[in-house]
Amino acid sequence: MASGSVGGGGGGGATPPPFRPYRLLRTLNAHQRAVSCVKFSNDGRHFASASLDKTLIVWSVQSLSQIAVLSGHSEGISDLAWSSDSHYVCSASDDRTVRVWDVRPPNFECVRVLRGHSDFVFCVNFNLQSNLIVSGSFDRTIRVWDVKTGRCLRSMDAHSLPVTSVHFIRDGSLIVSGSHDGTCKCWDANSGACLKVLIDDKIAVSFAKFSPNGKFILVATLDDTLKLWNYASGKFLKVYTGHVNQTYCITSTFSVTNGKYIVSGSEDNCIYIWDLQGKNLVQKLEGHKDAVISVSCHPTENKIVSAALDRDRSIKIWAQN
Amino acid sequence: MNVPIIDPLQGDFPEVIEEFLQHGNMKCIAFNRRGTLLAAGCVDGSCVIWDFETRGVAKELRDKDCVAPITSVCWSKFGHHILASATDKSLTLWSVLSGEKIARVTLQQTTLLARLHPGSCTPSVCLACPLSSAPILVDLNTGSSTVLPVTMSDVGTGTTPHPRNKFSDGSPPFTPTAATFNKCGDLIYVGNSKGEVLIVDSKNIRVQAIIPIPGGSVIKNIVFSRNGQYLLTNSNDRVIRVYENLLSQKGAANDLEEMSNASPVNEFQGIEKLKAVGSKCLILFREFQDAVTKMQWKAPCFSGDGEWVVGASANKGEHKLYIWDRVGHLVKILEGPKEALTDLAWHPVRPLVVSVSVAGLVYIWAKDYTENWSAFAPDFKELEENEEYIEREDEFDLVPDTEKVKESEINEDDEVDIMTVEKDSTFSDSEASQEELCFLPAIPSPDVPEQQDKYPASLSKLEDSTHSGSPFSVEAGQNGQAHPASSPLEVVVNSAAEDAAVNTGVKRKRKPSAKGLELEAEKGRKPPLSKLIKSMGKPSKAKVKLENAQDANDSVLDDAVTDEYI
Repeated sequence: MASGSVGGGGGGGATPPPFRPYRLLRTLNAHQRAVSCVKFSNDGRHFASASLDKTLIVWSVQSLSQIAVLSGHSEGISDLAWSSDSHYVCSASDDRTVRVWDVRPPNFECVRVLRGHSDFVFCVNFNLQSNLIVSGSFDRTIRVWDVKTGRCLRSMDAHSLPVTSVHFIRDGSLIVSGSHDGTCKCWDANSGACLKVLIDDKIAVSFAKFSPNGKFILVATLDDTLKLWNYASGKFLKVYTGHVNQTYCITSTFSVTNGKYIVSGSEDNCIYIWDLQGKNLVQKLEGHKDAVISVSCHPTENKIVSAALDRDRSIKIWAQN
Repeated sequence: MNVPIIDPLQGDFPEVIEEFLQHGNMKCIAFNRRGTLLAAGCVDGSCVIWDFETRGVAKELRDKDCVAPITSVCWSKFGHHILASATDKSLTLWSVLSGEKIARVTLQQTTLLARLHPGSCTPSVCLACPLSSAPILVDLNTGSSTVLPVTMSDVGTGTTPHPRNKFSDGSPPFTPTAATFNKCGDLIYVGNSKGEVLIVDSKNIRVQAIIPIPGGSVIKNIVFSRNGQYLLTNSNDRVIRVYENLLSQKGAANDLEEMSNASPVNEFQGIEKLKAVGSKCLILFREFQDAVTKMQWKAPCFSGDGEWVVGASANKGEHKLYIWDRVGHLVKILEGPKEALTDLAWHPVRPLVVSVSVAGLVYIWAKDYTENWSAFAPDFKELEENEEYIEREDEFDLVPDTEKVKESEINEDDEVDIMTVEKDSTFSDSEASQEELCFLPAIPSPDVPEQQDKYPASLSKLEDSTHSGSPFSVEAGQNGQAHPASSPLEVVVNSAAEDAAVNTGVKRKRKPSAKGLELEAEKGRKPPLSKLIKSMGKPSKAKVKLENAQDANDSVLDDAVTDEYI
């Protein structure tokens, strides 16, 4: 399926601001093992990193210094998510739990442990209102949790292989999930009903997320391909290729602060930035020494944070010139 | 949000009790504008705000002064305030976010129904319908009140002198009257004991029009649909009548003023004139009644989209909801537990009704959800009946022509807009000048301590355990001591423990709980962890998983071993 046209020049329409290249701002070494996830908070003041060393670290965006180390998980952590108000972080771990952390200074403590998954929890996300958490697991279920009480509200037998990503749509009415079983499913968050299945050649889906307006889904498959789907029509609109993604669940994201781009990690130790419309590669950031597993874009500034696996273990901050 | 894949056909009426809410003894309910929060007034004078998404208590509004049973609750337009009326004759305005009392006014009579002025963001004026006198407009800031006219006895003047005094004049004991604001709040529709609807200007308190209701019996309820296009009345003659509102949504008061001065109408005088105006305001659309049982109706209301009308039987010991379509057909009778119903509300956007029973429980009626199997197989089509299949010309060709066409159908160069969010069409009428309060922040309540003791993985204990040895010995210890059984059983145990933990005061029952247990049990039959990983075929494709596959091997083995003991 890696036949999507690469390059092809920019699409027409209103001219976006010209792309300004990113450069490395800082490298942060703090984790003892591979870093599995980095994410900026929604208020843009902090970012958090999760690692196989069982800890989460909260960083200040301004000073790039550590604010807190959150430990409590008894196994490595695969994913993390911020609540909308940036007060809480939830984390998914191989110890089969999801933990909710209060990250408002000076608290930095675990306020909830969500138990119920019977295997590694691999992905988590808050909804916009941050009263619900959705988690996906190697036990092949998706669970929806009440943040306040820690109760599991719903459990969907979602996929036939591990769930690799779960994401709420903007208004919280839908959940998208991706799985190694090669499908991407849309769920009614209210009823838990499966509304739509997107299948494309049964290649393992490693990542899926809604576009900021909730109209499209960005899907990564383990055949070095990123696709933008119109989930309503069941057709894909754009294909982004060039990077390497055969093994890991590498996260990708929309960069919307200065023009519209797609940013993704890659197993060739680089970060790829494509033009959203033109699908052409605009920059390849080199510097990590192992596969870049996670990238995140700052909500308002032109900054990217990235994390890499065990041979690197660092977090890198990239900023535009 | 405009979510195209949520089946539009699901927009009909509820069928079964999906769940019930229990917290104190609830008497009356109201949804906020978006249906994300449900307010309930309790017998002990408190108000509970339910997060309707999680079906958990989001807030309790409680004050030492408010101890009398609540008779009605009403949200302000943007959801920042709640007005509650109580049997101690008080009206209390609450700030939802802070949970504090903003204003409290005590009237001369108990208010059965209180409605905030819908037009203002920071509400100060409200409409109160007392037990046995005319409706009054109350200014919550100053406490001053204005009694609304309920009859037009004064023939000839057209505008009755209205009693502006604080109605301590021993005004005649009316039977309860019903009243409601229109959508903008510039007019008040008052139903009186003579079976008339009076349209009153909410500014100058002048009666602008009269609409006599057929049957002429006491009007018990008067309710607008959410979009303001329809009005229903519930009269003592056991008929619910739906009227179409002919006035425009905005500036209706001015239109009325002009109408009464314009040509055909101004030839009439007094009541005749008011009736002439009235005939241009409301037009009878439908009548609903049960011709067989001739029962009285209780708490009737429209569905969120105005397509349906629901009313409850007012018979004692009966919890029956009748649903009609607007065309006039009775489409469903829902029968609940043998407890009388005290209040009823239709969700503003979903096919969902909540009803309150005399026992203080809130029942949630929703659609009986059926799995849409075609959702799982996007290339399949669901058929209503058998169809003759006519194959394509090239269907069985080795290289079908159409395949190629299909490939090129997708134009990858089309611009995509990932940012623009369309305004929700159901709420487009709002001039959203103010931030709407749709959700209360969910603050995780801390874990129950006993639960933490059970799991050595809790924060403080981990510090010790990491020093004591390798993490895997901890894991093994955990499995060996605390839980001899590993994953599958743990799930069941946990959920039971959680249930016990949460059951402190708040109860929240889910109908398919038995089904849930089944599910858990099913999971118990899954192969042990080690097998699972092997059978997956591509374990290496998991993020991170590769790294700790070798490391985790020991613990995986532990799991496998313990599994065999089950």
